[in-house]
Amino acid sequence: MKRILIVDDDPIIRNLLEQILEPFEEKNVEILTAENGLVALDIIREKQPELIFLDVMMPKMNGFEVCQKIKSEPPEKIPYIVILTAKGQEADREKAKASGADFYITKPFNINDLLNKVSEILQIKLD
Amino acid sequence: MSKLFKKTLLLIIILFMIIAFTIAISTGWNLYNDLLQEYKSKGTAIAKSVASSSIETLLNRDASTIQAMIDRFLEISGVSYIFVVDANGDIISHTFIPTIPDEISKIKNDKPRDTYVKEIVFEGLGTFIDITSPILEGIAGYVHVGMDKNNIMAQMKSAMIRQLILISLIFIFSITIAYILVNKVSQPLNALTDYAKKLTLHDFSSPVDIKSDDEIGLLANTMKSMATDLHEVFDRYEQAINDAIVELQNTLAYLTAVIDNMADGLLVTDTDGVITHVNPALSYMFNMRESDFIGRNCRSIFGDNFAEVVEKSRMNADQIFTTEIELAHKRIGKAVATGIHKETIQSDDKGIGAVILIRDITSEKEVDRMKTDFISTVSHELRTPLTSVRGFTEIIKKRLEEDIFPNVTNDNKRVLKSISRIRDNINIILSESERLTALINDVLDISKLEAGRIDWKLENVRPADAIEQAIIATSALFEQKKLLLIKDIEENLPEIICDKDRIIQVIINLLSNAVKFTDTGSVTCKAKKLDNSILVSVSDTGIGISETEKDHVFEKFRQAGDTLTDKPTGTGLGLSICKQIIEHYGGKIWVESELGKGSTFYFTLPLKNINDVSNINKMEYNYTEKE
Repeated sequence: MKRILIVDDDPIIRNLLEQILEPFEEKNVEILTAENGLVALDIIREKQPELIFLDVMMPKMNGFEVCQKIKSEPPEKIPYIVILTAKGQEADREKAKASGADFYITKPFNINDLLNKVSEILQIKLD
Repeated sequence: MSKLFKKTLLLIIILFMIIAFTIAISTGWNLYNDLLQEYKSKGTAIAKSVASSSIETLLNRDASTIQAMIDRFLEISGVSYIFVVDANGDIISHTFIPTIPDEISKIKNDKPRDTYVKEIVFEGLGTFIDITSPILEGIAGYVHVGMDKNNIMAQMKSAMIRQLILISLIFIFSITIAYILVNKVSQPLNALTDYAKKLTLHDFSSPVDIKSDDEIGLLANTMKSMATDLHEVFDRYEQAINDAIVELQNTLAYLTAVIDNMADGLLVTDTDGVITHVNPALSYMFNMRESDFIGRNCRSIFGDNFAEVVEKSRMNADQIFTTEIELAHKRIGKAVATGIHKETIQSDDKGIGAVILIRDITSEKEVDRMKTDFISTVSHELRTPLTSVRGFTEIIKKRLEEDIFPNVTNDNKRVLKSISRIRDNINIILSESERLTALINDVLDISKLEAGRIDWKLENVRPADAIEQAIIATSALFEQKKLLLIKDIEENLPEIICDKDRIIQVIINLLSNAVKFTDTGSVTCKAKKLDNSILVSVSDTGIGISETEKDHVFEKFRQAGDTLTDKPTGTGLGLSICKQIIEHYGGKIWVESELGKGSTFYFTLPLKNINDVSNINKMEYNYTEKE
């Protein structure tokens, strides 16, 4: 079973992403959520998700720090990290790259683009 | 006494003295000779007379007779002594009183055959002329007559002194006469000279009292009238100069007051960048004394960057250069440098210095930073709810289209109408949220542009590539409105150095604007090379822009049409962003349009010196380049 982890402090965004990714649940993909970086790290160690959507501005530990932590203490299965943020500046993109993120999507985003990206990463085709 | 007279007087005195002494000497000499001759002949006569008359007496050796005779002769002037010796050399009688001098013994034995004259010196008595005359050819003896030569000398001396005194008196008399005469001639000349001297010292009021009607008088009169004229002219000029000085002082005081009371710092440098003037505001800004600036090179105080800006402004008459500069107390100043150029601009004009105004922009920068931060924060905060709105709307739309609508029984007209409305409404929410996203992006963009927080990449860009990419990005819009796009791009356009993404952003903006305001017809995109730049134009056959609107289209939140009646379809920031980008590269952007017939937007990008231009702008926008 493949897993997607959504890390965002905003429950509405978590909810939105869960609903967007619903089609993948039908394809036997588990959707996990975490409201901050520390919880996220626990889940990553425990559940080994293939794909992580990571918000940047979060309390306790921001997205870049989570990213760095994953890269410095890699879990068994190295996840594909997509930074999903309202910060769309060039500098933020550079930071994301530097902290080891694989992809960068700015909010607000287009649903179809997001779905296409997920199927590409998980190699699961939607109907 | 006139100098002329003094000079000649000295010469005359010398000459006179030579002449006077020559005359005196020659006179004395003549007198001496004459007297000597006279004494000799007198003595000879006396001697002969004594000799002839004393023969008998001598033979008789009648000494008393002889004595009486010689005593008689002694009374003749000049005769000092007479004595008679016999053939044996014994003195028979003499006139010596009281004793016969010793020197007589040397001559008493002389036995000349004829009358003989010789000089003898008696110690203590002087020189005498001794005339010896034989009596009876020496048989009876000899008569010696002594004439006093001292007498001759004394006479000669007194004669000479008399002569000298006389000549001197005559000379003094002549000199006095001459002096009076010369003075009479030179006095008016002297007076005139004094007058001329006073004139040279600008003393025109002194009187000159020369009334003679000769050349000197004429000269004096001419000088007087000249002095009067000069006086007038001088007075006039002096007045004019004084007026001008007062005016200049007033102007200077005014200007100094203006400069000293300016809130901005003022700095003036010469051709070498050496500081020649600062105002109190500048001293305060840098927390230094005025004397710390004057005479020093601005490079040594303000650094290389500042000095370069100053140098550039001096070299370019018609350009103003700006830079930011660190002030005292961690404040920031904006320096605006302008070259000082004389009005006679030559081809090799390099300027005679530069004026630099420095304004404390710390608070402006702070406000600017706060504004940008605020906009940045607000737009980030807006993005999150916008993400939800857009995301959920899309999900709702999907669910409706996939799960709800197909299962609605479609025989009810009202339900069908509702479905159609919901579909429209959801699409409106989606397009509006998209517009909101674009607006947030544009606001963020423009606030960053204005605050100079854009990272400008510098890369070689082929204009044709940039246009092509912009066309691809906007192709969907053209398809939607079924408009024709005509491309007219000159071949082999030179590359420009700029940020490709930014240029594409400009072209996309212009193309999408063209599509937005055009319902039928076509959009034409042209590009060609001008002398020093690339010209790109986008023309449409749309609604056009009125003359009054034309001036405002590049302003923020301005759009063609009335925003109160026409529903705006863009953010109103696109053209403002375009303008900022193009001007960043030293280019120009403008529009030509005719209402109802369409518009053409043009922009240029310079080919040369693009580095220079961007450097200047970097300073202006406080450009921070990434390490």
